[in-house]
Amino acid sequence: MSSFLKVTNLCRYYDNVAAVQKINFEVNEGEFVALLGPSGCGKSTTLKMIAGLEQPDSGTIEIQGKNVLDRAPGKRNLSMVFQSYALFPHLSVKENILFGLKARKVPKPERQARLDKAVEMVGLGPHINKKPGQLSGGQSQRVALARSIVSNAPLCLMDEPLSNLDTKLRADMRTEIRSLQKQLGLTVVYVTHDQIEAMSMADKIILLNQGRIEQTAAPEHFYDKPLTTFVASFIGHPPMNLIPQADCVLGVRPEHVVIVGDGDIGANTGVEMVVKECDYQGSETIVTGEYSGAEIKACLAGKRSIDNGEVVKIRWEPAAEHRFSKQGGQRLKADG
Amino acid sequence: MSRTLHILSVFCAWALGFVWLFPLIYAIWAAIHPPEYATHFSLFAPLTMENFKAAWNEAPFMRYMLNTVIITTIILAGQLVLCTLAAYALARMEFIGRGLIFALVLMQLMVVPEILIVENYQTLAGLNLVDTHWGVALPYLASAFGIFLLRQTFKTVPQDLENAAKIEGCSVLAIIWKVYVPLAKPTYLAFSLVSVSYHWNNFLWPLVITNTEKSRPLTVGMSIFGAPESGVDWSIISAGTLISVGPLLVLFILFQRQFVQSFMQAGIK
Amino acid sequence: MANSLFPLTAYTIYSTMQSSKQIHAWLLLLPAMCLLVAFTHYPVVKTIARSFYGFGTRWESKPTLENYRYLLEDDVLMQVLYNSFLYAAITVPVSIVLAIAMALWVNGKLAGKGLLRTAYFTPTVLPMISVANIWLFFYSPEIGLLNKLLGLVGHGGINWLGDPSVALYSLMAMTIWKEAGFFMIFYLAALQTIDRNLYDAAAIENASSWTVFRRITFPLLMPTTLFVLVNALLNAFKLVDHLFILTKGGPNNASNLLLYYIFENAFSFFDTAYASALTVLLLVVLVVLALLQFGVIEKRVHYR
Repeated sequence: MSSFLKVTNLCRYYDNVAAVQKINFEVNEGEFVALLGPSGCGKSTTLKMIAGLEQPDSGTIEIQGKNVLDRAPGKRNLSMVFQSYALFPHLSVKENILFGLKARKVPKPERQARLDKAVEMVGLGPHINKKPGQLSGGQSQRVALARSIVSNAPLCLMDEPLSNLDTKLRADMRTEIRSLQKQLGLTVVYVTHDQIEAMSMADKIILLNQGRIEQTAAPEHFYDKPLTTFVASFIGHPPMNLIPQADCVLGVRPEHVVIVGDGDIGANTGVEMVVKECDYQGSETIVTGEYSGAEIKACLAGKRSIDNGEVVKIRWEPAAEHRFSKQGGQRLKADG
Repeated sequence: MSRTLHILSVFCAWALGFVWLFPLIYAIWAAIHPPEYATHFSLFAPLTMENFKAAWNEAPFMRYMLNTVIITTIILAGQLVLCTLAAYALARMEFIGRGLIFALVLMQLMVVPEILIVENYQTLAGLNLVDTHWGVALPYLASAFGIFLLRQTFKTVPQDLENAAKIEGCSVLAIIWKVYVPLAKPTYLAFSLVSVSYHWNNFLWPLVITNTEKSRPLTVGMSIFGAPESGVDWSIISAGTLISVGPLLVLFILFQRQFVQSFMQAGIK
Repeated sequence: MANSLFPLTAYTIYSTMQSSKQIHAWLLLLPAMCLLVAFTHYPVVKTIARSFYGFGTRWESKPTLENYRYLLEDDVLMQVLYNSFLYAAITVPVSIVLAIAMALWVNGKLAGKGLLRTAYFTPTVLPMISVANIWLFFYSPEIGLLNKLLGLVGHGGINWLGDPSVALYSLMAMTIWKEAGFFMIFYLAALQTIDRNLYDAAAIENASSWTVFRRITFPLLMPTTLFVLVNALLNAFKLVDHLFILTKGGPNNASNLLLYYIFENAFSFFDTAYASALTVLLLVVLVVLALLQFGVIEKRVHYR
């Protein structure tokens, strides 16, 4: 019972600086895995090494149980969607989609059938004879997806495919890509720096930082049980408040912080915070203040306005507390 | 004051333009009129095609033209292929000694083959290629200018396009042919126009390496044809000149815009 | 598991892939490099060797400075070098000034500037050799067009190509005619990159057109001028085609230029060794110009 894609001890150095160090993970067949992390964390390099566009300095990559390191990118039986879409500007939409099938000398009738199916799936019908220059961002994105679909490759690598789209379109494409993936039973490795994309689409997230894996888990675990302070401060919007304590670092999500008001049940509990800023965002107001030498953010429903310098009392449920070690920022087991 | 200056400036512009076109205008005038009008301007001079006929019979123009076309074609075809391959390697492949190779290539921009006629003649004599089309063409097949120009263009092609082609299983040659060449079309056109006009007009090296009309191009043919001691009169020389520049001139007039832009593009890089 | 018989370590794969990349790169370069070496680098080396080991068309077993000694004693060479430098010193600046004027006219608001541009550019695409025949007619002493025109104003005529004090200048005129339109192209390209706002700003300041040219256009064309200058100098040493038709270097070497002199020595006097020494001299000139060009490119970069 081996996994579909297995990456073992993968390392890559540029001029003796590690871009990727000792990365290990497995992807099951039909699984959607997001490689998440800030820019420069090594996620794109990892993806390129899986594709064969870059060679690792050490480690192995196995696809369907076979070590593929000695195979050229074209022989790894995978497809790739690029951040820039990588559409050939001199070819029409149709020719772009068929590029790979022609290169692989797939017979014409089969080519046509696969083309029709892919075009249908992504809804490109009326644009098939246009050149990439005449397409909108969303349409170009669909061509790139169609190119990946026609290849019939079981593994699809996506390198920040949505980062060039506007917010609205991005949300639509997220659902669309996810449903395509399920329909086709594709195994997807999806690189992104956007936690919302990773959280909403992936079965499993691998969070990278400085070439190392910080945490590998299902999306909900990232929110509920971040393994490190890095994960805690990366996931969530705004990120988790980290308050240094004598023996540990205390973490509380802004949405779990409440301001103690008149008539509140625990009116006498809580700690004092000096308000520095109120940022109204429509459905909520984010109040920033200072407590115990740390900056605290609290997400409050509706519009609230509190004067700068005013002292308010805040509190949170003990169950909402996360504790991390002072050295290394690792999650401490014994919660509460 | 400024108005008179402006008129003066416009006048100078057109006067210069007239002087610049004058040799060509004159050649046309002399060629289509009987010889007695070569130095005598008259609106009522009778038109004639006799000069063209005479020139055509005087020298094997057909043969010269054919030689020029063959030589120019060999050179252009060779340059396009060789420069493309070399330019891709220099633009997109990492290998030991790339800097040195590129420097060696650039050297030819300064030291053009014309300057080395003495040794190149010896080399081609050793290869038994004197007085052949290949003899004229060989020293020019690898063009540093072409390599440089294409390298610059290839460097602007996004790396992701090449990666996409690699994922689809394309070999290096397929990537060059299907991705880089189509994207560099304007550069190929620019380079081709510059190359064709250069080699159509090239003289010194063909003069050295050709001996007979078997391989002699138009320019060398014209130098023999037009020599004063050949005793041919001006009208016929003019007609011959027009025959020799005709194809290129037609090409120039048809592709005028591209010509100017090509030379511009070629010059800027 | 699958590769347990031949364990593929990343390192061995990496190195084999790297070496196959190296081989690919060299294969792509091979045809072009062979030809470049055969017809540029090898002949340069051989020319230098022959200049030391050659005597006439033969090779000597011991190196000799004989060819170079002769170089210093050769009065014709002195004349040729003087001609070559004078030729460059006059044709280059005149061509450049005309080229700038042409570019300004063609880039301006003149009616029919397309036709004008074609007129200026036409000599560039015409073969020097063919057009030289027409120029030969203009210059010919008895029936030549120029002398006829002089005759109209009562002048007795000039022996344009036969008079040693005039022949070289007659050649220069044709060179300028051939080159100016070519250089115009570079200026035209440069003019089109100048920001229109600068001219609008100058118009608001009510600057005269001369001030605009001197303060805005000309300084911004400076990098182009340096670039054109070096290329024009190079061309001045390479462009000798018209000598074959017009003067053949005469009368009495009055219009002989370095590259033509090399040709004469090699293929008329059959003194290959001396021609090699002369070629070395020309190569030195080119290397100096090359160094100059690197300096110029450097400056262009700083300028931007």
